[in-house]
Amino acid sequence: MNRKIIISGTLLIALLGAAIILAALFGAERLPLFDLNEQQMSILYDIRLPRILLGACVGASLAVAGAGLQSLLRNPLAEPYLLGVSNGAALGTMLAFVFFESFELSRPVLAFAGAGLATIAVYQMAKSRAGMNVERLVLSGVIVTTFLSSVIVMLTTLLDAAKLRSFTFWLLGDLSQATTNGVYLSLGAVTIGTIILMSQARALNLMMVGERDAFDFGVEVSRVRVLVFGASSLVVGAAVAASGSVGYVGLIVPHLVRLTVGSDNRLVVPFSAIAGAIFVVFADTIARTAIAPRELPVGAITALIGAPMFIYLLRRS
Amino acid sequence: MSAQKSRVFLIFGVRVKKLNFRKVRSESVLAILLVAAAFFVGCRSNVSNSNTTSPETVSMRRVTDDLGRTVIIPVKITRAVSLAPNLTENIFAIGAGDRLVGVTTFCNYPEQAKSIAKIGDTMTPNMESIIALKPDIVFVSTASQIEVFMTTLEQQGIVVFVSDPNSLDDVFQSLIQLGDLFGTRDQAETLVSNLSGRVGQISHLVSFVEPRAERTVLPRVFVQISREPLFTIGKDSFITQLIKAAYGESVTADVETAYPKLSKETALALNPDVIILSESDDNRLPNEVFRNSPAVRDGRIYKVNADLLSRPGPRLVDAMEQIAKSLHQEKLRNK
Repeated sequence: MNRKIIISGTLLIALLGAAIILAALFGAERLPLFDLNEQQMSILYDIRLPRILLGACVGASLAVAGAGLQSLLRNPLAEPYLLGVSNGAALGTMLAFVFFESFELSRPVLAFAGAGLATIAVYQMAKSRAGMNVERLVLSGVIVTTFLSSVIVMLTTLLDAAKLRSFTFWLLGDLSQATTNGVYLSLGAVTIGTIILMSQARALNLMMVGERDAFDFGVEVSRVRVLVFGASSLVVGAAVAASGSVGYVGLIVPHLVRLTVGSDNRLVVPFSAIAGAIFVVFADTIARTAIAPRELPVGAITALIGAPMFIYLLRRS
Repeated sequence: MSAQKSRVFLIFGVRVKKLNFRKVRSESVLAILLVAAAFFVGCRSNVSNSNTTSPETVSMRRVTDDLGRTVIIPVKITRAVSLAPNLTENIFAIGAGDRLVGVTTFCNYPEQAKSIAKIGDTMTPNMESIIALKPDIVFVSTASQIEVFMTTLEQQGIVVFVSDPNSLDDVFQSLIQLGDLFGTRDQAETLVSNLSGRVGQISHLVSFVEPRAERTVLPRVFVQISREPLFTIGKDSFITQLIKAAYGESVTADVETAYPKLSKETALALNPDVIILSESDDNRLPNEVFRNSPAVRDGRIYKVNADLLSRPGPRLVDAMEQIAKSLHQEKLRNK
């Protein structure tokens, strides 16, 4: 068992390394393998690599958030995008853009706040005296998502036409605005978020059985809830502020991971992080190169791959 | 309104059927639908009645619009609505601005256009407001959503005319055409000869200071439409022709579509000599990727107001003059 995990873990990390190297080889501009001139160096180090690394961070963020929320809410459909968490972060980012445009750091901060508020709203709506059932949660998620979408649409209508175009593109998930600072910020957020989620992995395992049982085993249920909600809001906020709403990553990646390593969260959380990173790096390579020198939004690619994959998983189980 | 109502009923009807209600139920739904349809027809006949009872009998004529559709319009247009800022500018330029009764919220030029009733923006015009203005004709610029406009408006007896200029020559043709429609052909012809005179003058000036302009290397121009995400002009944009007419070479002239989102890698590798910013709130600086480009190094960044550059109307000539003067600044100054 242990050996199998070590092997698959090493394999997955190797795969991420390979994905990053492979992604670095492809782009709108063809770069030689050796003897790059100054401009080619700039393309590789200032544009291509930050974007690939940001994609990896965003993928890891969304996947760990999905893994954490699914275990906490005992619901396989819990996913930042479907639960309205991404839209909360998107609205926060937009508000930051409209009201604090000059203050760069306001975007991730308000994105985090938006993600947190959306999470709390969905949770409050979904829980009832009888506990929380799947239908209520999904329904609350749909309500919050559509409500926030309409607020976003209203905001884009109020903004002038030039800004509107950039926003509609950004809303579909777009990694083209990657900067080195953005990578550091996302990397920091996803590292902290993953560590928090991993520290709660054992408690999450017990909570998957049932909150009452977990309580009987000595799990501080409310504390775990706050930590998991906080950590997922943090990572989703950072991811959305950097790249808009990239869908389906938080849904399919943890599912695929559970199919291979089982449902122990001590493995599911870190494995999801790595697998999510691979998935988005792969999807963004398609987005960058498919119609070069033009670009597609990465969110369209993840949905295009994710939706059929999800249906497949649904029919299998 | 009534068209929408009947559609809702229909959707409702289909839904009810899908839920497998008993046959009796679906029959009653059918009855409701019939009543709704009768109501709808009633509404419509009311409308056409009020139209036929209008006091004056206007003489009509046949014209062809830019989509090649034959439309029948009144010989004398008294009430027109424009659904695009460039068409509003065109109609004012040929001296028929006083007959515009409705324009979009984007229509901010000339000054008088601001005080005309607003009917929403180009993408989402308000049908009720348009109909309430009782126009003879509605001018539409793009083919987008044209089916929706046409069916709803033509049911109300309002003609939709598509005018879609997409180059400097198109603008001149469109102005003459509008002059014909509004009965101000003379004024339109004077305007066009003025505008084309200015175009001729600027190319003469540039070819004078740069006698071998067509054979030597032209300044390589990047037109930045939006800074983040990076949008530029492609081969289908009239701005690409405008750059050429100003003796410049657009570095993105081969890129598909009119306004593509460009890869930053490609943008960096293009090394433009000149960057033209379509000036708007979030587009006043060149994108970070141009940091080491000759354009930024030599300080050759020029702003052209986005309204001038993006609207195929008479002010496109202003944009062309500005671009030509920016591109060949030094040589023009030396003369």
